[in-house]
Amino acid sequence: MKKSILIACCLAAMAFNMACGKKSMVMLAPDPDGSVGRITVANEAGSVDIDQANLATVIRSPEAAPRAPEPLDPAKVEALFGQVVANQPLPPLHFRLHFESDSVRLLPDSRRQLTEIVEAIEARSPTRVSVVGHTDTMGDKVYNVQLSLRRAITVRQLLIDRGIDAAFIDVVSHGQENPLVKTPDNVANAQNRRVEVVIR
Amino acid sequence: MRHAIACLLCLGLVWIGTSTAVAEEIFISIVKSVEGGATITRGDTTHAVTSGMEVKRADIIRTDRNGHVGLVFSDDTRISIGPGTELTIDSYLFEPLENNLSFVLRLVRGTVSYLSGQIAKLAPEAVQLVLPAATIGVRGTHVLIKVD
Repeated sequence: MKKSILIACCLAAMAFNMACGKKSMVMLAPDPDGSVGRITVANEAGSVDIDQANLATVIRSPEAAPRAPEPLDPAKVEALFGQVVANQPLPPLHFRLHFESDSVRLLPDSRRQLTEIVEAIEARSPTRVSVVGHTDTMGDKVYNVQLSLRRAITVRQLLIDRGIDAAFIDVVSHGQENPLVKTPDNVANAQNRRVEVVIR
Repeated sequence: MRHAIACLLCLGLVWIGTSTAVAEEIFISIVKSVEGGATITRGDTTHAVTSGMEVKRADIIRTDRNGHVGLVFSDDTRISIGPGTELTIDSYLFEPLENNLSFVLRLVRGTVSYLSGQIAKLAPEAVQLVLPAATIGVRGTHVLIKVD
């Protein structure tokens, strides 16, 4: 009798493991710049916050709350995650190009930066490049959407002229809606008259 | 002639008005690196993952026991996928001007190193990493996950 109960328990445990046996581990790692973020790990049974680097929680089933976070041994971090961390893609590069007022003419410093941008695109191959146009808040909103689009298209063409494949360049226009420096409406601002080039 | 120019102007305005992105289909993510065996399932078809290919919403990525894939997203999110992994991009929206922001990644099994991007910065509540037994909310930035 005792034996059969034991067997029944074993079978129940096996069935439970098959259904919910997907044990997960979640660890908060330091950012590449050394700062530390914050995560919340939650299911129906409970939740834990982690805001210190190298603390990990284990979740055994949707019915069991995530375990209290504990430090993970560095050797274990390396064994479990060393390779994925080593294979992390590089952070995208962001360049800012600046323009004359109400114009698609690049300022001289920005024009000189094009060479560096082209080299970066070639070094990052395979890549995808976004060219995002912006204006300051001078003038009409709708006009500015078109001006920032013309600025972005101009930069795209300058990159194509320097040998970059057009298929890898996306053009986006943000008009005056996404300023670098917040200003009231109808304020000229050289910083905000820009195209941002993102190289991934 | 004048009529033609007016038409062109109208088309131009509609074009700018309906979408701020000029690309035919908005770019989401690019495969920056691939090693070993990895496949991508889109609808009914499955292909080998190749370096430089685009990844789209609802794609399922699977790696074999030697497979590694590195992805970079349009919002600067970076994901490194380890061996024996299956994951899906359930939702991805990066339209900061319209405030349409969403990133839901589902990890069925395997190992991932995740570094959040601008979506997590602008709208932390819009980012979810879904595991079989729990969901991770991310306020930044670097998360290591293993699902058996």
